[in-house]
Amino acid sequence: MRSPELDHEPPMSVSLESTSEAGPSYLTLDKVANSNGYTNGKSASQPLSNGSSAGLHNGAHSHPPVSRVKLPGSRLYEDLLIDREEYVRLVIQSLRDVGYIESAATLEAESGYSLETGYVSEFRQCILEGSWSQAEALLPRLGVVDETSLWAVKFLIGQQKYLELLEAGKTAAALQVLRTELAPLNVGSDQLHSLSSLIMFSNPKDLCERAGWDGASGTSRDDLLFSLQRHISSTTMIPQRRLATLLSQAQLYQRQQCFYHNSPANPQTFSLFMDHECDKEDFPRVTTTILEVHTDEVWNIAWSHDGRYLASAGKDKTAIIWRIGHETEPTSRECVAELVLRDHEYCVGCLAWSLDDSILLTTADQLIKMWNAKDGTLLRTLDEHQETVTALSWLPDGSGFISGSLDRKIVTWDSDGKKRDSWPISPMRITDMAISPDFSRLVTVGMTYSSPPDASGDRGSSPALAGDDARPPRNQVIVYHMDTKEVAITIPLGGELTSVKISEDSQFALINHAPHEVHLYDLVSGRLARKFTGQHQGHHVIRSCFGGIDNNFVASGSEDANVYIWHRDTGVLLEVLSGHGNGSVNSVAWNPQNERMFASCSDDSTIRIWESAPPEISMMEPEPPIGKGKGKQQWDGVI
Amino acid sequence: MGMKYRQYLAGERIYGCSTCKTHLATIHSMISRAFNGQHGRAYLFDGVVNVVEGDPSDRQMTTGNHTVRDIYCCKCGQKMGWKYDRAYEPSQRYKEGKFILERNLLMDVQ
Repeated sequence: MRSPELDHEPPMSVSLESTSEAGPSYLTLDKVANSNGYTNGKSASQPLSNGSSAGLHNGAHSHPPVSRVKLPGSRLYEDLLIDREEYVRLVIQSLRDVGYIESAATLEAESGYSLETGYVSEFRQCILEGSWSQAEALLPRLGVVDETSLWAVKFLIGQQKYLELLEAGKTAAALQVLRTELAPLNVGSDQLHSLSSLIMFSNPKDLCERAGWDGASGTSRDDLLFSLQRHISSTTMIPQRRLATLLSQAQLYQRQQCFYHNSPANPQTFSLFMDHECDKEDFPRVTTTILEVHTDEVWNIAWSHDGRYLASAGKDKTAIIWRIGHETEPTSRECVAELVLRDHEYCVGCLAWSLDDSILLTTADQLIKMWNAKDGTLLRTLDEHQETVTALSWLPDGSGFISGSLDRKIVTWDSDGKKRDSWPISPMRITDMAISPDFSRLVTVGMTYSSPPDASGDRGSSPALAGDDARPPRNQVIVYHMDTKEVAITIPLGGELTSVKISEDSQFALINHAPHEVHLYDLVSGRLARKFTGQHQGHHVIRSCFGGIDNNFVASGSEDANVYIWHRDTGVLLEVLSGHGNGSVNSVAWNPQNERMFASCSDDSTIRIWESAPPEISMMEPEPPIGKGKGKQQWDGVI
Repeated sequence: MGMKYRQYLAGERIYGCSTCKTHLATIHSMISRAFNGQHGRAYLFDGVVNVVEGDPSDRQMTTGNHTVRDIYCCKCGQKMGWKYDRAYEPSQRYKEGKFILERNLLMDVQ
């Protein structure tokens, strides 16, 4: 709320241009405070001097002096643990940041609180201008008196000074700083050594790269201020943009509480005036298209990177490339089975699009086939594995791909299908595998041997084999370093592992674990971060995926014909989506370009595209009409 | 049915399909070597994996009448032997639920 007299006084708009003309400005306050010899800004007499200085400078504008408002207590509201002074100082800070200098000054006068002492702004100014000795001289005034802080601050400033001198080519002066300022601080010899080694880089560009530092004209002085902040009391020197930091934290909290969060961050979805919450109706939970061309169970699906094509594969020994029209309106979208890739001798299990979407890889038993994804030409058949190939993953640089197999082999291939190298034979039969997007890790899951079927179960035709009790752990996760091919982490697990995916930030691996669980592993610590439960998985290869904005969701197929979706960070089960016919939902895949669309495939020979309900359709829930036109848009004749 | 990988066995000796090396049984589950099939010597196993069973039919064998199903390798479809559903002679009942694999169609695999 702006005060009316400020609004209506014409000279104010002029005075905004120049702070020296302005009334009770911050700078004038500093001068008064300094001359009075204050070392701490929280003096009660400050508002007085402030008011008088305002009067002196601003007399011509006949701006009435602001009188101080005296309030009881120290809290902003009686019932809240928020300190009024802290709050007001943050408001002053943010007002000044955006340029409401006058309002900030008025608030300082009215409240009796000032943002900071003049020493702080002087100090800040010195750092940003590179007046190092002046900055150091101000340290005692900032309350930096204890030895440890003083030492750290001096080192940080000395280091910046040294680097800037080097950057400017003043090697002798830099050396002088190193010898007379940094060395006497008794810095670790390693640190001193690495600093001194920078002298060799005569080119400033090399220097900056080597030192991880962006030069005097870059952000390095701001960064230095940020580092110095840690050693100066925050009451004295408030961290920059502190109010904005607090508001961002509030937004983050609201986002974390928004289970259906699936919208990009923008001021419309995050108003300060109300808590953020995404509309559940915008969540993809309605089937908008059913793709029916496969003649048998569909086992796997994969989106092209551009999100416009969906590949599917399964028991009918074909893979199909579907073009999913990019019209945003489902009713006008055309979904066509563009290419049907036959020439597979066995059922097709894996699919992998090259990074540019020009090549689609498929596997049928021990064979890998490379297809031209544009015209469906079979480019090559790779016959290297002895047993079923269960995983294909393109390298994040697009230069090739890796295959993993039940024969324990992991092979790296060039993008033209030439074998590049073999990895050490895995101790387990690999059932799935994924490369982290940051290229650092290869995550494999598999089994050391397959447990015989349970004689009492539904597959009683094959009773248990003798002598299988004292065997080592049956199933494992093995994480490798990509660069060295060395094992980083091994995690033994009880149940059969059928699928692994890695989050966009390369931090988490999502692993389907029979019976009935999906596990989220932290790849850095190797710890189980979360379990998602509810879906059914006993005997079959069921796959899961991350999805939505910031990989906010986890989705999985299930043997009970439903699709399960959880909130990733809390594990809360959000949706159990029915629609597929009898049998398992074998895999789910979120569209990489459209956070509001994913696909699922099932034993019922179909693929379903899931989206948020179009307004006119939501009336007709739960089931969308199923048309007969094979693979075509299913809304025809219904809307 | 859903997707399933073929099963892999572990043990000292693993018998696989001679056509495609698919794992079928281990020596641990072998009950007897004293059987004969269409291709000569055959083994009786307590359990086998990776086979598809055909329809039941009654067959007169040297040890009497039996209800059996032919079993096929699940990968290549080769007929590997049969499974006993029922033995009519009480003395032959021990074979019920057990499997015959023909030795000449097997090979040692890893």
